[in-house]
Amino acid sequence: MRKVLFIVAATLIVASTGFAAGAVEETVPTLNVSVPWSGEELDQFRPVVEAFEQRENVRIRYLTYRAEDLASVLPAQFQAGQTLADVIFMWDWWIRENPQHAIDLSEVWNRHEANIVPPAITTGGKVAGVPFTMVAKPGFWYRESFFDEHGLSEPASWDEFTELLQQIGGISGVQNPIATGNGVGWPITDVTEHFLIAYGGPQLQLDLIDGAVDWQSSRVREVFENRIVPLLEAGAFSDPIEWTQAVELWWTGDYGLYFMGNWITGMVDDAGDLGVFPLPEATAIVTGPDTFFIPQYSDQQELARRFADFLLSEEGQRIRAETGGKLIIRNDIPSSVYPEPDQAVAAVVAGMETTVPDLDDTIGGDWQPTFWDQLKLLWVQPDQLGDVLRRLDQAR
Amino acid sequence: MTKRQAELGSAAVFVLPAVAIMGVFIIYPAVATLVLSFLDADGTFVGLRNFITVLTHEDTINVDRFPGRSPPWGSLIHNGLWIIVHLPITLLLGIILANLLHNIIGGPVIKAIIFIGMVVPMIVGGVIIRFLFDASSGIVPHLLRSLGSEGLVTRTWTAYPQTSLAALILGSILLWTGFSLTMHASGLSTIPKELYEAADVDGASVLTKFFRITIPMLAPVTSVVVAMTLLWEIKIFDIVYAATEGGPGGSSMVLSLQMYRYAFRRLDHNLAATVATILSMFTLVVGLWLLKRQRKGEGA
Repeated sequence: MRKVLFIVAATLIVASTGFAAGAVEETVPTLNVSVPWSGEELDQFRPVVEAFEQRENVRIRYLTYRAEDLASVLPAQFQAGQTLADVIFMWDWWIRENPQHAIDLSEVWNRHEANIVPPAITTGGKVAGVPFTMVAKPGFWYRESFFDEHGLSEPASWDEFTELLQQIGGISGVQNPIATGNGVGWPITDVTEHFLIAYGGPQLQLDLIDGAVDWQSSRVREVFENRIVPLLEAGAFSDPIEWTQAVELWWTGDYGLYFMGNWITGMVDDAGDLGVFPLPEATAIVTGPDTFFIPQYSDQQELARRFADFLLSEEGQRIRAETGGKLIIRNDIPSSVYPEPDQAVAAVVAGMETTVPDLDDTIGGDWQPTFWDQLKLLWVQPDQLGDVLRRLDQAR
Repeated sequence: MTKRQAELGSAAVFVLPAVAIMGVFIIYPAVATLVLSFLDADGTFVGLRNFITVLTHEDTINVDRFPGRSPPWGSLIHNGLWIIVHLPITLLLGIILANLLHNIIGGPVIKAIIFIGMVVPMIVGGVIIRFLFDASSGIVPHLLRSLGSEGLVTRTWTAYPQTSLAALILGSILLWTGFSLTMHASGLSTIPKELYEAADVDGASVLTKFFRITIPMLAPVTSVVVAMTLLWEIKIFDIVYAATEGGPGGSSMVLSLQMYRYAFRRLDHNLAATVATILSMFTLVVGLWLLKRQRKGEGA
C-alpha cells in the first residue's frame, strides 16, 4: 500500500511540475510557422525569425512541411476548423484555389506594396497570400575552379553552348556534360522552362500558363525538336538522378553543369566557387515567390499579422537578404546586401529584360505532376516527344 | 427484467462502444465515399459516369500500349501485374525459406534479417528501392554490370519506363518476403512431428513429405498470407510514391496513387472516391474469399 501511495504521490509531483513548466511557457505567446525548409535553408530563415522574437518577446515554433504534404493534410484540417500552424508557406496556386481559408492581409499588404516586386494573391478584393522571398532560376551553374582547370568559358551563343557541352563531355571522368536532377520532378521542368523562354520567348511561357497555346503547337514543338531533343539524343544530359545526389556528383566533377534555382548556394561547400550563366539567347528567367497565408482558424491571428508585417518590412527583408540563398522581394534594398553568390544571381536577374512566373508552380493542380512525370519520360526516351506533348495537352 | 433482457443489456454495453467507433470511423466514411462516387462536384447524381470515366481513361487501362508496347499500361494493369509477379514469388520464397531455415543453426538470425524488410517503414522502403536500382550507387545495376550485362538493366531502373515497374515489384518482393517467411515458419512449428515420423516409417521421400504433409498442413497459413499479400498489392502506395511517383510517364502508376492524385492534386474528390470504391470492391472480394476459406476450415 505504501508503495502505491508513493507512486501516486511521485506521479502527482511530476505532473504538477510539468503543468507548472507548461504554465510558465504559456506566458510567452507562441506562433507556429509551417515552412518548406530544413537544414541550411532553414538556417538562412532563422535570423529573421529571431529578430521578430526579440522585438515582440514571442516564441516561434517551426514546423517543416513540404507543400506536397500540406496539400493532403490541410483540406481535412480546415474542414474541421483546425490548423496546424498560424502562418503557412504554401504553393501559390493552392492558396489561389482555397482563399476561403485565409484571412485578409490587405492591411499588411497595402503598407508595403509600393516597394514589393511580385504581386500578392488577391481574390475578390481580398489578399489571401503574400510573398516573402523569391527564388530565381538563373541558368546553368558551374564550378569556377572546374572551368579554370579545363580552360572553359561561359558561352555567348547557341553554337558556343553546344561547343562547351562537347568540351565538357570530352573531359576525362565526366559522365555527361549536364547533370539532370530528379526526385519530385521539378529540376527537369526548370531546365525545360529555361529553354522554352530562351528560344520561344517569355511570352510563350505566359501563353502556356494561360492555356493560350497548345503544347503540340509549332511554337512549343520547335523548341523541343531543335534545342532540347538533339541535346538529349547526343547525351548532353545525364539520366535523371536524385537531385541532392546530382548536386554532389556535379560538385565532385562527374558532370560539368547543373541547372537549378538560386537556393543551390546553400547546398554546396564553397559558394564562392559558383558561377552561373543563362542560355545565351535568354531575355527572361523564371522567378517565383515563396508565398504564405494565415489560416482563419488560427487563434493567434493578430500576432500572425504582425509577423507577416515584419516579414515584408524593410528590416525583415534586409536580414533575409544578408543570409543569402533567396532573393528578397523589396526593391528599396541594394543588391550589395546579398552575399557574393547571390549578388551574381541578382545580376543575372537585373540583366534580363523581364522575369516570368514558374510554369508548373503557377498552373499547379494535377497538371503539375503530369508535367514533371512526362518530362522524366522524355529525358530517357526523346523519341516519345509526340506522346509527351499530347499528354501535356490532354492533362491541361 | 428477464434473464434474457439482462444478457442483452450487458451485451449492448460491451458492443455499443465498438459499434459507435466503427460507425464513425469506418462505416460512415465508407458509405460517404460510396455515395461520393455516384455524384459530381455539385452533388448531382451521375450514376456510373465516374466509374466509366475512371475505367476508360488511359491512366487506368491503356489498351493502345498494352501489351505490345512498353509501359505505361495503366494503373489497373500495373496493379494486376504486381499481383501476378509478386504474389507467387513471395509465397514460394516464404515457403522454401521457412523450410530451409527450419531447425538449422543460425536460422532464426537469417529469418530476422529477412524480416527487416517488414520492419522498415514502406516509405523508407521506397527510397531504398530507388537507391538499390540506381546506376551510380545501386547494387543491382553494379552486379549486373559485373556479370557482363549491358543496356537498360545497368542503368537507373526507376528512370526508364521499361524497368521502373519491374524495379518496384522486385524491390517489394525483398520487402515483403519476410512476412511470408515468418508466417510459414510459425506454421511449420505447429505441424506435429508424429506425421513426419509416420511418413518416415512408410518410407516417404523428402519431397513426398513436403507435398503431402507440409504444404497441406500449411494451407490455413498460406491462405492468410495470400489474402494479406493480395490486399497489400491492391492498395500499394507508399513505395511507389517514394521511389517513382508513378513514373516516368505513368509507367509505374498504381490505383492508390491515382486516387491520391485525383484527391489532392486535381482536388476531384468524386473521382478519388470512385477509385477508392473500385479498390474497396477488390479488397472485398479477397476478404470474402478468405472468410469463406476460414469457414470451410472450421467446418472441416
